[in-house]
Amino acid sequence: MIEFPLGSEMFGIWNWADAAIRIVIVVLVMTIVAMYLIYGERKIVARFQQRLGPTRTGPAGLLQSFADAVKLISKEDIRPDGADRWVFEFAPYATFIPVFMTLCVLPFAADWGVRNLPLGMFFVFAVLGLNIVGVMMAGLGSGNKFALIGGVRAAAQMISYEIPLVLSLLSVSMIAGTLDLNEFAAKQGDYPFVILQPLAFIIFVTAMLSELHRAPFDIPVAESEIVGGYFVEYSGIRWSMFMLTEYAALWSFSVFGGIVFLGGWNFPMGNEWGWGWQLALTFIKSALFIFFIFWVRSTVPRLRIDQLMTFCWKILLPLSLVQVVANGFILVYDGPYWLLSLTSGVGAILLIAIIINRAFRRRTATTSLVGAYRGAQVSAQ
Amino acid sequence: MSIWPTERTLTADEATFDTVDMTINIGPQHPATHGVFRMVLTVDGELVVDCEPYIGYLHRGLEKLTETADYRQAMGWWDRTDYLAGMCCEWAYCLAVEKLSGIQVPERAEYIRVIMAELSRINSHFMFLGAFGADVGSFGTSFVYGWRERERIYDLFEEVAGDRMFPTYFKIGGVTMDLPENFESRCRWLLDSIRQGLEDLDGLLTGNEIFVERCRNLSPLTKDRAIALGITGPILRATGLPWDVRRAEPYGIYSRLDFEIPVGRQGDVFDRYFVRLAEMYQSVRIIEQCLKEMPKGGLVCATDLPKTLRIESGECYIRTEGTKGEYGVYAMAKGGNKPYRMKLRSPSFCNLSALREMVVGNYVADAIIILGSLDIVLGEVDK
Amino acid sequence: MSKASAFPYPVGTQAPNAKLAELLAALVNGLGGRIGRTTTDVDVTVPVDKLETLVRGLRERSALSFDMLRNVAGADLGDEGLALKYHFYSFKHGHCLQVTVALPPHQHPHAEVPTLTGLFPAADWHEREAAEMFGITFTGHPNLKNLLLEEDLHIHPLLKAHPLQVAELKQGIEDGPAGFTF
Repeated sequence: MIEFPLGSEMFGIWNWADAAIRIVIVVLVMTIVAMYLIYGERKIVARFQQRLGPTRTGPAGLLQSFADAVKLISKEDIRPDGADRWVFEFAPYATFIPVFMTLCVLPFAADWGVRNLPLGMFFVFAVLGLNIVGVMMAGLGSGNKFALIGGVRAAAQMISYEIPLVLSLLSVSMIAGTLDLNEFAAKQGDYPFVILQPLAFIIFVTAMLSELHRAPFDIPVAESEIVGGYFVEYSGIRWSMFMLTEYAALWSFSVFGGIVFLGGWNFPMGNEWGWGWQLALTFIKSALFIFFIFWVRSTVPRLRIDQLMTFCWKILLPLSLVQVVANGFILVYDGPYWLLSLTSGVGAILLIAIIINRAFRRRTATTSLVGAYRGAQVSAQ
Repeated sequence: MSIWPTERTLTADEATFDTVDMTINIGPQHPATHGVFRMVLTVDGELVVDCEPYIGYLHRGLEKLTETADYRQAMGWWDRTDYLAGMCCEWAYCLAVEKLSGIQVPERAEYIRVIMAELSRINSHFMFLGAFGADVGSFGTSFVYGWRERERIYDLFEEVAGDRMFPTYFKIGGVTMDLPENFESRCRWLLDSIRQGLEDLDGLLTGNEIFVERCRNLSPLTKDRAIALGITGPILRATGLPWDVRRAEPYGIYSRLDFEIPVGRQGDVFDRYFVRLAEMYQSVRIIEQCLKEMPKGGLVCATDLPKTLRIESGECYIRTEGTKGEYGVYAMAKGGNKPYRMKLRSPSFCNLSALREMVVGNYVADAIIILGSLDIVLGEVDK
Repeated sequence: MSKASAFPYPVGTQAPNAKLAELLAALVNGLGGRIGRTTTDVDVTVPVDKLETLVRGLRERSALSFDMLRNVAGADLGDEGLALKYHFYSFKHGHCLQVTVALPPHQHPHAEVPTLTGLFPAADWHEREAAEMFGITFTGHPNLKNLLLEEDLHIHPLLKAHPLQVAELKQGIEDGPAGFTF
């Protein structure tokens, strides 16, 4: 249980003051993190693309995000004529609040979060589902057809991918036997759950990309089709709210994934080396997730909406269901933990093998032509 | 002001719930239109049921301007039609005037022209590969990969002609100046780097499962339909017909050169992409042959050129293989030092006219890719 | 993807083909046309009302089988009126042919030409372009709106009578006086 340093009663004034201080710390850290995620994304993607990224604003461009923030705040806040006024103006906040609420229950170090809920994971699911409301508000309220399409696409996609996401997390919490996020991390002192549930981890990462509207699932914000989707009409401070939300969600999902699958603050040596190391572990693990997301973004093209849905309903959902059922059997009959690893590992290898096999067959079929031309070219020399 | 059609608000209360189609305006300022092109898509959900293209935003009156300018001055306008491969356009214009006036081009100039035109073709196709990758949704990585090689090609153009994009390097009767001394070694270095860039892009795009999945079987086209619609160039070759003006009606010295015509199988978007990729290898091959066979010295421009070119009469229709297809120039002379009438048959224009037929029945996201696969250049479409 | 193949059809040239002129003679003489040549192609001149018959013949006779419409170019010949130049290509034989339709001045500005869109879908945009640039009406064309010019701009810039400055002014001021006022 949490110990309240400034008072032990549940609803006393000190309790509120303690919560307020923690919230302020989290909000400040989140803002800084979001700013440097934008900087980091620009730098990392630039390196993938053989560019330099921002270099001029501050040393190595480190102040770029602050300059951007100043620019965005001083921009005019335009509301289109055809927009539904209140829906349009409140949409950025409606997307931001769920993400912020998620951050309130994440343990960044042992027993340290804003509040630790016994049903933490359940709370995270429930609150993240609310994100759709803000996106739909922005899509419908903007009075723009691109925004409308983006909003509807986002709703369809997020509702679909919520299911494999929840099922994959369910299969992990079956093993952990708890929904408390702090306890989740505490149980992973020896090994992280990704070893027990690699398939659930893969499904989680995939669904996470989709929930965050990241490539290759950036269909609702597809820049080359609907030019930003639901936030196409926003400018200035409201647009920057959307950006803040996007990167805050990226970070909170990464921290969440780190806690559930990679051992959070605990693995390795979290309990032994103290809170500094625990905090570092949380940030390193989230950084790994974020780097992976940026990497994927700079490499792959976008799926089409029907392919996206097919992948969700025909591949991810059955696999996650099978995972849950298999876990159930093993746990009920007190099977050994290596059996969990085995079943899940076989599933994961199967999934990867299917994808690689498809790609590989396709590749030999398609590159034979270029191969022929390359051959011709060598003989001509 | 509402974005809903009025029919919708009228029928909303009725017992029979009715749906109406929505129109989406894509362009003239839209990242996927590659310039100032506008198309109005009528969509039923995400499915396109109608498409109406609007062009002319970049119409500069090329043909009228050509009628007002001297034969030599007018070439500057023709550069700016297919601005990704300016020298291919210059060549077509020069060929038309040379045909009318009977001017012979020296051997060395012919080789130089082929080298420069093929480099322009590679340049344009790199732009296609990059922009097409971005259309399909990769976040600019393919774009920058393509851009790297284009930058090097433009550097070479600058060394040879003094300008990068619109060099006006060709002239009636040859080319304006001889190649620099280190051209051959520079060009060979460039070809190596082009080949490396092609390998990179091939790996990035063709090796990507999502990319292939998006493009395969998308808006397939049959040979007969493509011919009926007047489609030429890589899109026609993607349907399996190895028709290339360089082979079918050779001009310049193409009949002496050894190269193959890549063809696709079913004319879908993937084949269009792939034909262009394979074509670039062939262009590299052509350039290598030219470097080997080119006469080492000699004139680069005809010596018997009059100070002011006057053509008594005549008409011709010159066709060349531009980067997007058959780049034809109809020229008519009726005395004087100006062309009486010049008409550009631009490949992008003709290919784009088939857009409606290709797009209808696909998703909005695919409509963007199909438009990208046509590889239009608006300077050429709008003249 | 199939392996690249050599060009399977006869290779054409960008010069008039004497054999093609012989093949055309029977068809063209029956229609009251005349066969000439340009620097690059065989040229057939026919009256406007025979255009459709000629094109149908060009397309359907197997010795000709012109299956592609490459280009449609209008031209303002001054005192002789307008002319339309159609360029056809035959994939089967590698032939290219120019068909000229003369539109004498008394028809102008309401010169009427039957559309070829029924036979060649490719003619659609070419005809729209010629229509707006020269003021030619293509009867039977499904959608004869302006293509390159503004939709409500009814000027015909490629007519020789149309000076440049006027066009530039008219794009801005629809009803103002033509020409420079200084």
